[in-house]
Amino acid sequence: MKSVEVKNLVVNYGLIKAVKGISFSFKAGEITSLIGSNGAGKTTTLKALSALLPHMGDVLIEAGSTSENISRLDAPGRLRKKIALCPEGRGIFPNLTVTENLMLGAYLNQDKTKISQLIEQQFEMFSRLAERRNQLAGTLSGGEQQMLAIGRALMSEPKMLMLDEPSLGLAPIIIEQIFQKFVDLKNKGLGLLIVEQNASLALEVSEKAYVLETGNITLEGKGIDLLNDKRVIECYLN
Amino acid sequence: MKKYIIFLACVVALGSALNYFTNSYIQAIFISFIVNAIMALSLNFITGLADQFSLGHAGLMAIGAYTSAVINKEVMSDQWYFIPVGVLIAAIVAAFAGYLISLPSFRLKGDYLAIVTLGMSEIVRVVLLNWDHVGGPRGYNAIAKFPEFYLSFGFGVFLLALTFMVMYRLKFSWFGRNLWAINEDDIAAEVMGLNVPQTKRRAFVISSFFAGLGGGFYAHHLGYISPGSFSFLISVQILIAAVLGGLGSLSGSILAAFILTFLPEALRSLPTGVDIRMIIFPILLILMMIVRPQGIMGRKELSFDALMGKFRK
Repeated sequence: MKSVEVKNLVVNYGLIKAVKGISFSFKAGEITSLIGSNGAGKTTTLKALSALLPHMGDVLIEAGSTSENISRLDAPGRLRKKIALCPEGRGIFPNLTVTENLMLGAYLNQDKTKISQLIEQQFEMFSRLAERRNQLAGTLSGGEQQMLAIGRALMSEPKMLMLDEPSLGLAPIIIEQIFQKFVDLKNKGLGLLIVEQNASLALEVSEKAYVLETGNITLEGKGIDLLNDKRVIECYLN
Repeated sequence: MKKYIIFLACVVALGSALNYFTNSYIQAIFISFIVNAIMALSLNFITGLADQFSLGHAGLMAIGAYTSAVINKEVMSDQWYFIPVGVLIAAIVAAFAGYLISLPSFRLKGDYLAIVTLGMSEIVRVVLLNWDHVGGPRGYNAIAKFPEFYLSFGFGVFLLALTFMVMYRLKFSWFGRNLWAINEDDIAAEVMGLNVPQTKRRAFVISSFFAGLGGGFYAHHLGYISPGSFSFLISVQILIAAVLGGLGSLSGSILAAFILTFLPEALRSLPTGVDIRMIIFPILLILMMIVRPQGIMGRKELSFDALMGKFRK
């Protein structure tokens, strides 16, 4: 899988148009970020891409010369196509242990040895989780819970990972640690699509970025370029 | 194996005791308890395990009751020994009705789902009220009954045990754990690859099946049903039993159904001039919810082995 191409994505909540026909793409081995203020349709876009919401428009997986339309698939189907979502507000299961939460991430995988290998991989990456592997997930700190949620999303061995507000409610130092992990993941060849309110940090690490405003993409470009763009500075970076 | 034999012995002992030492009044209450327990289990499966709030179980019960009654009278020549067949068909019809109901309504959740299921059950009731062939508001009369108490008791206990065993096995199966995941966080469950809409629908169909089973047995227990027997209040009573017992606890539902069936009857015989049970009973329920909001059993199950362990000490 080289990239995911989204064409004319439209999502409605009843009569309200939340996303009004946006087109964008994100690539493997790159970080793409989607920034915008509250109510711009960022979360809605991610939910639609993982089929949690019904939508119109096409979602195409590009792999070299072939492309496959997955816009008719349901949520498990899209996960099988290796596109995973780490939902907003983390969504971990508080009454299960860290290891159990990770195991749930491999829900579609039947191979037990593979699952334990994957769990070890996550523990390697997030050593804090390894220390707390038998602790109930609800007792973790916010940052650890976010790490757990990311680790859990990675348990399905995605090629593309979509993250909804990974910095929400975290201390700045933890946010930097987590974004460092994103860069590591990118260097391993994973494609990341990050939705963020914390625009400056997101733009710093992104190869490509889109600005979403009330359901439309108003600006796109390289992360660094947007970081120095007057309009972006005025609206999002002050 | 040993515990099944003990269980069977207890059932036989209870049945004979009820048959020889009590009058038909207490026997009838006991059968009502079985019906209530089946209905509470059925609702607990969808509301307790999967956290999908349904207020329409009286409608499913009505579908089961009318199907069973009509089939027995018109197809099976009004014979009591065909009752089990009719009840089984009633359950299948109710399961199918549940499937149809689930198609539009399970796009919603929470309070909205409760309102839609409530609407569905009212539709069923109003259709029955205006359907002259099944008696309309007069109700459906002279339905075949079991000629002896122990037959009725045996069949009832069998249905209750069947319902409990199936749900208990499902609760601790792969499917039951999927329901728990939906209960805890449906978005997280879905992004991990669980087909949430399909799982919810399946759970509702299973729940409807047993609601139909309970309804069918109810019709043959009373011998008379009318649309009024399946009003909104019945749905609420079923819900009270499920919540009182503990949402997610199957044995709790049976316990609560027992309390909710026998307590009003026990209070009826209090030697006060006024009908004080209408005050005592709600107060008990309110106190219960203040003292123990998670219900009698919470999410836990009454374990036979643990109980035996306590006896040995």
